[in-house]
Amino acid sequence: MSTFLQACVNGLLMGGFYSLMGMGQNVIFGAMKIVNFCHGEMLMVGMYLTWLLHQNFGLDPYACVPIVAVIMFFLGAVIQFTLITPALETKSFTNLLFLTVGLGLLLSNGALVLFGSEYRTISTSYSMTYINMGPVTMALPRLISFGVLLVVSVALFVFLKYSTVGKQIRAVSQNPVGAEVVGINTKRIYVLTYGLGVALAGVAGALLTGFYTIFPTAGASFGFRALIVVVVGGLGSIPGAFFAGIFLGLLETMVALFVSPSYSDLIVFVTFIVILVVRQLIVIRRK
Amino acid sequence: MADTPIIEVKHITKRFKGLTAVKDVSFSIREGGITGMIGPNGAGKSTTFNMICGYYPPTEGQIFFRGKDITNKKAYEYTKMKIARTFQIMKPLKNLSVLENVAASTYFGHDPARNERDAKERALELLEFTGLYDKRHVLAKDMGTPDQKRLEMARALGTKPELLFLDENMAGLNPAETEEAIRLIRRINESGVTIFLIEHIMQAVVSLCEEVIVLHHGEKIAEGTPSVVMNDPNVMEVYLGKKEGSHA
Amino acid sequence: MDEKKKAVRAYHRNVGIVIGLILLVFLIIPVFVKSPYILNIFVLVFYISTLSMAWNLLGGMTGQNSLGHAAYMGLGAYASCLLITNTGANPWVAAIFGMIVVGLVAGVIFYPCFILRGPYFTLVSIAFGEALRQFIINSSFFGRASGIGLPFGKDSWLDFRFGSKVPYYYVGLVMVILIYLLMKKIERSRMGYALRTIREDEDAAAAMGINPTRYKIMAVVVSAMVAALVGFYYACYIRYIDPELMIQAKSTESVLPAVVGGAAYVEGPLVGGLLMIPLSEFLRAKYSAMLPGINMLLYAIVLLIVIRFRPSGILGWYMHSRVKTFIDTKILRKPSVEILEEVEFSVSHGRKEA
Repeated sequence: MSTFLQACVNGLLMGGFYSLMGMGQNVIFGAMKIVNFCHGEMLMVGMYLTWLLHQNFGLDPYACVPIVAVIMFFLGAVIQFTLITPALETKSFTNLLFLTVGLGLLLSNGALVLFGSEYRTISTSYSMTYINMGPVTMALPRLISFGVLLVVSVALFVFLKYSTVGKQIRAVSQNPVGAEVVGINTKRIYVLTYGLGVALAGVAGALLTGFYTIFPTAGASFGFRALIVVVVGGLGSIPGAFFAGIFLGLLETMVALFVSPSYSDLIVFVTFIVILVVRQLIVIRRK
Repeated sequence: MADTPIIEVKHITKRFKGLTAVKDVSFSIREGGITGMIGPNGAGKSTTFNMICGYYPPTEGQIFFRGKDITNKKAYEYTKMKIARTFQIMKPLKNLSVLENVAASTYFGHDPARNERDAKERALELLEFTGLYDKRHVLAKDMGTPDQKRLEMARALGTKPELLFLDENMAGLNPAETEEAIRLIRRINESGVTIFLIEHIMQAVVSLCEEVIVLHHGEKIAEGTPSVVMNDPNVMEVYLGKKEGSHA
Repeated sequence: MDEKKKAVRAYHRNVGIVIGLILLVFLIIPVFVKSPYILNIFVLVFYISTLSMAWNLLGGMTGQNSLGHAAYMGLGAYASCLLITNTGANPWVAAIFGMIVVGLVAGVIFYPCFILRGPYFTLVSIAFGEALRQFIINSSFFGRASGIGLPFGKDSWLDFRFGSKVPYYYVGLVMVILIYLLMKKIERSRMGYALRTIREDEDAAAAMGINPTRYKIMAVVVSAMVAALVGFYYACYIRYIDPELMIQAKSTESVLPAVVGGAAYVEGPLVGGLLMIPLSEFLRAKYSAMLPGINMLLYAIVLLIVIRFRPSGILGWYMHSRVKTFIDTKILRKPSVEILEEVEFSVSHGRKEA
């Protein structure tokens, strides 16, 4: 029973990251209907930024979160402005696909050139602190990270729901032409949206550094899981992405517990394929 | 043979999630002629059209082609039965040249081209016929609306149909272009192709069609020759009513 | 008319001469180039370009952007290697076996995935490839993560096993040429037109009488079988395979030559591969000790530049460039399109009225 509870907690703590990644991907997909295939690499960039700030200025990883968010926002905005917006105008899905794939290659190999392939970690005074709650043990950094990402998720939800810019983003997501007609500058919204999505990935990366190794391809598995979260949680739905992320985290730990840890990836991917196909079958049936 | 209509639609109904778009519509299309279907916006023309083309099946009712039940045939089985269609929202193969657009379609249908040379020769002939020959090497996406509409027709003809469905082929054309489109449709008909068209433009329907079917609110309210239909009190009410509405 | 016919014949002859010269250069390269390092680069160019052509049939021609082609290549390598190591079958038989297995996997197991369109298709292709790789990692029959090796021994054509790289060079060259001819044949056939129609608009395709699912499956089966052939070639060349062969980055690498070269053209993967792979290998050899990843970084930059400024690839640029006009008129002496059409087709402008 205690191992089961422990697995639940572990799944929950990991799932939170999938949620955060999924939300960022969801904001981008919602507004522009493009899949950001370099989302995982953005997380990796966030990790290295945190590591650099920690190495050079001795900043605590959690103190880096807002700085990383701002830097990543501008990085995303610049990418959107110089590369993605022009590619959107070609209306070619293939171009956009390989643009983000190319960005992912650029970032992961850029990191490899700059930092080498060594695994790096950030150790703080509380890295090895564990908290016991009944039968369950949790590493303190994981717990803090989860707390922060809960706050970020709620803030994002409130921002999209109530702020003017948030409402504009939702308007563009639902109907870009209509939004343009009522006077919303869609290009500006695209820049903000991509910046926001990338910033969320960066925040996820910063929050991971407390207990996760940093290496050039660290983001790949998170990037793909973010896509799963978007598809399972429903396009444009922030709460949907949140719960889908938690579900995915739990699924992984449950498979690891009841089947075998080495099968968890296989089962995640097969589940994803089945969900995609079944979902589409339902869409077709409804028509 | 001449007595069996080429298409016979029996009591078709289409419901989308509670909304009845087409309700118990029956009509037939005479072989060799030009039959038109008109009606105000939202009358169910396109839904009816899409059901006859196999785009989606009717909820109830049956559709017969030369006496054979084709109600549940898939869209891609139609050209084998010598039936072709065009789309209201044109679907040119954007990144292919006009010649390739038409050559592609000559590869399919009941009498497909054997090889690329054969396909291109047939396509060139059709481009000559539809007046697109000089634009054969232009990419389809670089053409204007009137030419794309012609291309839709040329591509449909590539499958050598005996029955051609035209979906609002003249919408968005100016009077001169409409005139030209009417001439082309008539020439297609004279070459032995039965035509069924839905159209907004009254003028086109009146001058082209021998038979007109009028839909309103998903139901058939009149049918007959253009003059009979134009003088039908129901039709006058629908069209005059619409006119008043638009002036108000 | 005779003048025109002569001009067209001369043009065809010139094209033939140019192609013949290019072929001749490739045929005699191993006679002069003895460096295994350079021969290895050519081998890479041959098999990666072939894999890219396989991808391009599904991606460039049909518009179904798969990002899981490394899995087909890997599975093909595994299927042929396992047949060789377990039954002692002849490698050439194993190659055919591998292609059939992968063709079946693509045509039967992947079949339901074709109801997905656009980005969803790309996602499912990644997931499918990754699921295959995870399956192999977890299966002792496939040797788990440690992979399987092919037996070493003396040089033999029967076993497709050589110490020298020269035989691999020629087999690779033949493979590239045969697959290119196959793709060219497909492009001009009914299937090629159906695939391009599907790429542009599936509803229009259905209205013409094309069953989109049927043709997409044909495309994926042919594409996966070619990828399996490449996998077999790779396994016999390296003589060792492991699941790393199937990682997603390898799928992406197999796509790059096509996109850089021009995915809308059958020749795109060849042009992209011939330019990018030697460059990438040169950088890898020269700098990777100090700067690992520099070759892929450059690759990524080229890719981004191409997409940003020449979305239709190098060939897309070439087709509308002055270089082509120069080569066509000055070197090949290409007659005008009208003359070419007049000679080739029996239909021409105004003939109907006349």
